[in-house]
Amino acid sequence: MKTTTLKKLSCIGLAVSMLSGFVACNKNTEEESSSEATTIPEQIVTTEDPDANLPYTYGLGKTFHADQPVTYTMFFSDASWYPMVDTWKTEGIFKEIENRTNVTLDIKSYDSGDYMDNITLDINAGNAAYIIPKIYDDSAFVDGGAIVPISDYVDKMPYYTDFYNTYNLADDIKTITRANGKYYKLPGMKEANLINYSFVIRKDIWDAAGVDVIELEKDWNWAEFLDALQKVKKYMVAQGMCSESDYIWSDLWCGNESGQGSGGNLLGVMGSTYEVNAGWNIGNGMRYDQASDKYIFSPTTDNFKQFVTTANSFVAAGILDPETFTQDDATATAKYYSGKTAIMSINQGQWANYEENMTAQLGAGNFENYVITIPVGTTNNSTVAPERLENGVMISQKALDELGEEGFIQMLRFVDWLFYSHEAYDLTKWGIEGVHYDVVDGQKVLKDGFCCGGLGYGNDAEGSMTDIRLQWGYAGGNFWYGGTVAEMTDNLIAPVADYVNRDAEFRDTPPLAPGIAPTADQNEEINLIATPLISNVNSWTLKFITGQEDINAKWDEYVKSCEDLNSQGLVDIYAQLYKGK
Amino acid sequence: MSNLEKSTPEFKVEEIHIHNRKNKIKESTGYKVFTVVNTIIMILIAFATLYPFLYLVSQSFSSKEAIIAGHTSLIPKGFNIDTYIYVIKGQHNNYEFLRYYGNTILYTVIGTVLSLFFSCMLAYPLSKNKLKINRFLSPFVIFTMYFGGGLIANYVLILKLELKDTMWGFILPMLISTYYVILMRSFFMSIPKDLEEAGEIDGLNKFGVFWHIARPLSTPIIATMTLFYAVMYWNNWFNAKLYLQNKNKWPVAYYLQTIIRGGGGASDPDAEQMSANIKSCAMVLTVLPIICVYPFIQRYYVQGMMLGGVKE
Repeated sequence: MKTTTLKKLSCIGLAVSMLSGFVACNKNTEEESSSEATTIPEQIVTTEDPDANLPYTYGLGKTFHADQPVTYTMFFSDASWYPMVDTWKTEGIFKEIENRTNVTLDIKSYDSGDYMDNITLDINAGNAAYIIPKIYDDSAFVDGGAIVPISDYVDKMPYYTDFYNTYNLADDIKTITRANGKYYKLPGMKEANLINYSFVIRKDIWDAAGVDVIELEKDWNWAEFLDALQKVKKYMVAQGMCSESDYIWSDLWCGNESGQGSGGNLLGVMGSTYEVNAGWNIGNGMRYDQASDKYIFSPTTDNFKQFVTTANSFVAAGILDPETFTQDDATATAKYYSGKTAIMSINQGQWANYEENMTAQLGAGNFENYVITIPVGTTNNSTVAPERLENGVMISQKALDELGEEGFIQMLRFVDWLFYSHEAYDLTKWGIEGVHYDVVDGQKVLKDGFCCGGLGYGNDAEGSMTDIRLQWGYAGGNFWYGGTVAEMTDNLIAPVADYVNRDAEFRDTPPLAPGIAPTADQNEEINLIATPLISNVNSWTLKFITGQEDINAKWDEYVKSCEDLNSQGLVDIYAQLYKGK
Repeated sequence: MSNLEKSTPEFKVEEIHIHNRKNKIKESTGYKVFTVVNTIIMILIAFATLYPFLYLVSQSFSSKEAIIAGHTSLIPKGFNIDTYIYVIKGQHNNYEFLRYYGNTILYTVIGTVLSLFFSCMLAYPLSKNKLKINRFLSPFVIFTMYFGGGLIANYVLILKLELKDTMWGFILPMLISTYYVILMRSFFMSIPKDLEEAGEIDGLNKFGVFWHIARPLSTPIIATMTLFYAVMYWNNWFNAKLYLQNKNKWPVAYYLQTIIRGGGGASDPDAEQMSANIKSCAMVLTVLPIICVYPFIQRYYVQGMMLGGVKE
């Protein structure tokens, strides 16, 4: 009898909890749908009141300065290759920020590899710092209520507003706007998207093979590029540098280790010249097509077929090593450094590293590296999208709760100065002018006795110079990113600046895709469809490229396999989200 | 052979054994082939298991250039100990590696002693069937093996107890392992009741019975648990990741984890990878104590499981 009563009670309890669950769900949905969507303005009008008697100084062209000392907590992503030490606080970057603004940053640092895990834990446990930098994806935080919808406050931030208005970033910002019309992070903003990834070649070998790369690269297409590589290989075989069966292009960032098992950088770059998403740019395959003014599933388009055909031609010609798509990065670099291959992927940050390793292997003066302008596909584009936004800063709700509205706005204006003013940009990247660096003929140059791995200034052989990043925390990854073109390029060494300029001169940038803002449910549906679908696309792409499957014979079968995995479902969701202009 | 003949009866048993081995039934050709093939396979498996470690040791003594060029094998190329000096001294010459090492030793010693004490204190009463409270307590203890409060709840608990960034934040969450307690309980159950009752008759209280009778008889399980707990504390990095924000308190395992992982690959332009020789050197230094001790104590690992697992 007792048991029966207990069972009944448990059943009633369960039923009540389920019912309340349903009620809660309904309420939530109502709230979501009734939330008033704010629009992102083309230009933000600042709400400054110069006459207000504020306990701090701020404004465009001014250094933020609090009248009374104030402390704000801030998360910090601490990189193990330049770990934070006490001197950063006692005499380095944090001390200098304090000297200029009267703001002490109470740093809560986490190792960069665990940074997202740890701050997620802290935010969810109600232990968030006020300022949360280095956020790439904020989607995990927006629904929890722990993060301030910052779009409600950006009109209080003069530096942010000025950059936004000057470089017309409204459309870019729309890409990070949520379904409720608000955005939650202050993104790093760039004046323009500069090329980062390309290919480095052994110019000495190319020259010896009679290939005039400087003349060719201005408008070469992939077929002409392949011709050039074949000439180079012929020369290398004749010189006994490799045999006929060897490949002279064996790339890194393509295998499982860093290429996400999808051809990583190589296919990403090549795909962008055919207006398709591929490699590590594949995302969910959806891409905005300007001609038809709608979103399309790019891996089943004719362009994609042309792209895989081109990629396959390099493998078929015995130029591109099929092991590229499986090998470790170290294997690829070892081949290039030792002169077994004559071309490899590169990004802006790797030049000095390649040079150093090749000097150790081949000896100085025995090689010449050159970064090429990417060949042309069906478009003149060299990047997949005009990315003008970088990782950004979130502000926790805790800051608003604890500081009150006025204190919160004061903190925002400090954040505005720290992340968006030119003064803070130079300080966090280069240190103090006259102490760590000088401006010579408009160029920033580190003073004698200082080096900085992060800015491409190596130490001398004895290691006698002081690294401004290791010692004082300048040029760290938490602060400087984005900025004007002049700022972004002020530390580029000549060969890198050269290829960035050539790309800007000879190649185009694709148009910005209009922002869409899926709800959490739509996002989940997109992911559910995309995960198996993209895995299928990647697997077929590699089969086509490495020649395991014949492209013409099997193309229809491949398209059918994508349709079976509901590629149309993705197109439908996107059509629902973007109705065209 | 002559030595054996002169020795004690125990050795004679050995002699008979040897004698028997000589006169055993002649092995068939099939069996011989099987033995040879078996041995070869075992050697290959042993080599495959050992190879990565030997390679790591070789890398740690090789020059950076040789590693980048892919020239390292089982024999170091460009032999040097500079990497070891660099790892021990640290980027800022502050010997941070030694500090992490010291932390690990401290956490392991204190953690193991406390874990043993509290595990015994829990396992011993649990082994007494006559205690009525065990009906409630046993399921309660076992329940924790299957269900936990979850990461955030645990994290909030540590925060509220103000244990974050303290040694106790690292040690207390893993102070008692339910699985080990159950092994110990089974062992305690196998101690004859008569001995304990004899102790009580001689005037010992309950703790005295545990301390003077049960504990000395439980040396095998306590030795095994010491080993288990010590290895657990030595290798743990996850608690450090969660609860030790202050670098000065990190154990060496977490430091190793951060440098092995390095940057986020090419997709993060700010990231750099630590050189392979630094990584391998740090790995060798971290596992060295365990590697040195393990051959001598590995039999306890197997025995330990058997000890607690079989109720006599």
